[in-house]
Amino acid sequence: MKTVSLGAPRSSTVKFRMPTRDNLVPIRVDIEVDGQRYRDAFTWNPRDPDSEVITFAKRTAKELKLPATFVPQILQSIQGQLAEFRSYEGQEMQVKEKIMPLKIDLRVNNTTIRDQFLWDIGNLESDPEEFARTLCDDLNITDPEVGPAIAVCIREQLYERLLVRLFLL
Amino acid sequence: MATPPAPVPPVTANSAPTPAQSPFKAPPFSQPPSTAGTLKTEIPPASSSAAIAAGVAAVGAAAEDSSHVITVPSYSGWFSYDSISDTERRLLPEFFEGEVAAVSGSRGPEAYKYYRNTLVKRFRARPARRLTLTEARRGLIGDVGSVRRVFDFLEEWGLINHGAPPLGAKQGKDKREEATTSQSSLPAGPTTPKKLCVGCRSVCGSAYFTCEKADISICCRCFVRGNYRPGLTPADFKKVEISEDAKSDWTDKETLHLLEAVLHYGEDWKKVSEHVGSRSEKDCIARLIRLSFGEQFMGSKEQKMEFEIDDDVNNESRAEIPKRPRLTPLADASNPIMQRVAFLSAIVGSGVAAAAAQAAISAQSQVDMNDNQTDSPISSTKEEESSYTNGFSANDLLKEASTNAQVQLQKEQKDIEQSLSAIVDVQMKEIQDKISRFEQKELLMEKEREQLHHLRELLFVDQLAVVQHQRRPHAVAAENKEEEKPKPIITMG
Repeated sequence: MKTVSLGAPRSSTVKFRMPTRDNLVPIRVDIEVDGQRYRDAFTWNPRDPDSEVITFAKRTAKELKLPATFVPQILQSIQGQLAEFRSYEGQEMQVKEKIMPLKIDLRVNNTTIRDQFLWDIGNLESDPEEFARTLCDDLNITDPEVGPAIAVCIREQLYERLLVRLFLL
Repeated sequence: MATPPAPVPPVTANSAPTPAQSPFKAPPFSQPPSTAGTLKTEIPPASSSAAIAAGVAAVGAAAEDSSHVITVPSYSGWFSYDSISDTERRLLPEFFEGEVAAVSGSRGPEAYKYYRNTLVKRFRARPARRLTLTEARRGLIGDVGSVRRVFDFLEEWGLINHGAPPLGAKQGKDKREEATTSQSSLPAGPTTPKKLCVGCRSVCGSAYFTCEKADISICCRCFVRGNYRPGLTPADFKKVEISEDAKSDWTDKETLHLLEAVLHYGEDWKKVSEHVGSRSEKDCIARLIRLSFGEQFMGSKEQKMEFEIDDDVNNESRAEIPKRPRLTPLADASNPIMQRVAFLSAIVGSGVAAAAAQAAISAQSQVDMNDNQTDSPISSTKEEESSYTNGFSANDLLKEASTNAQVQLQKEQKDIEQSLSAIVDVQMKEIQDKISRFEQKELLMEKEREQLHHLRELLFVDQLAVVQHQRRPHAVAAENKEEEKPKPIITMG
């Protein structure tokens, strides 16, 4: 019997998914109706049922006291982004180790974060949420809204790179 | 914020019986059951002997700076910052089961703990204010779906937003004002026909519970579920039965509508109830019967009696009829007896009255009519009806009724037998079909088995060939090739 020795890291083929431990989609919503503006960014699990989107839209509008006209728009926006993500889902993609710089430059309430770091966008076990949590803890950030913003920002960049890679294949 | 180390024993203010003294007992149902409704109050370890109002969340101005009194319902006594209880594992399995959860991350027990502890801490920092989901998920690093589920779970179990004013309402005093005005609009007297429950805003059924302390009334369901203000215990409530009059106070207008409707639509109760408006079909029918001339509309006596057998409402109404002054007092001599019957049936309640009515039917079928008069107080509330309307011809009508009933019984039995035999036939056919299908499948299986055998033999031969080939690569190879070829041809059949 011959033994196969492990050589250089090879690329493997997987079904389309976010290159993170949890397959979560970054969603960004920016709606303006009659002068009122609603902007938000969060992470969504594409396996949640559609009813979840509807409840989310209604609940958010209710809690933020937005007029009812916002609800269908929020709904469409989220569903559109989810549909786009799902449309790629059947495809195969090559993943291999690829280290790229990611940048964060955002302001949340009164906190500004600017940072740049290297990230292996082919590492399917990477965790933007954990990164965000650690960053906030280490920098003693008190505003709880900063963490999620960082996590979403990282995910968006990963998603972008993913699409680029997908279409270049 | 450190965890409150041990459960603070409920202070004397919680004077109600406290069966829930074991605060860490996990309730058996997934819905938070209402146990005794007593509350366990937790005080942050910093405070000393703050006076505790009976379980009401208040920002106390005690000796310490941050002495909030945070109330946790007794059914959520299992909660602790450092551990995850079985309740949580059971009700939120997504975080604890499956391979996704096994590798912790956005799923997994640690994530759950992070969400939960953060949410609870944030709420407890400002317990008078409602923590909205939007605010919560904006402050939590994770996907919205998971956060929402943890949030809803905690809210349902009173670990979050417990006692906080509901969304959209002006918080604090205004809400209480609203509550009191709604109560004041419900006078407890007999003038209002319906009693509205403060807890669920639905009509109370036959009984409701009032509380002196808080001057509220809730329906049975809310009482059982503990759907009332945190400061109250079940002992504070008193049960109040709703009499027929209060429940269904038919105004003259409604009665008029009813009569019109019956004239127009006859026995189409759906249309009648529509015409009357706010009365269900049952109510209309009941009301009609209760009217003094109701029997005429109902047709023959027999129909009416059947009606009474079936209708629960009528059981109650039967008790009520004697209470009202009758316009057609027939046999004066029977009045005291009737009064006694009415009194007994009123005491005894609808269930027993129904049973008594059944007994009356069976008594009727046994002829002896002479005894009926003396039997009346025991056996029938039916009797009172018949006496009222027909006086001395009661016995004849009863006989007629019983014979009719028997005839119909027999018809029914025949029908039943026929349909039973039809059912049996159908089932036999089914079974036969199944048997034939099974036979076909068995045949197929046999064939496949044979094929499998042949394949096995083939495989064996191939294996032999391979082994031989390995030992004597050159000499036997040619022979084996010759041997293999004929075999496949044979077994293909």
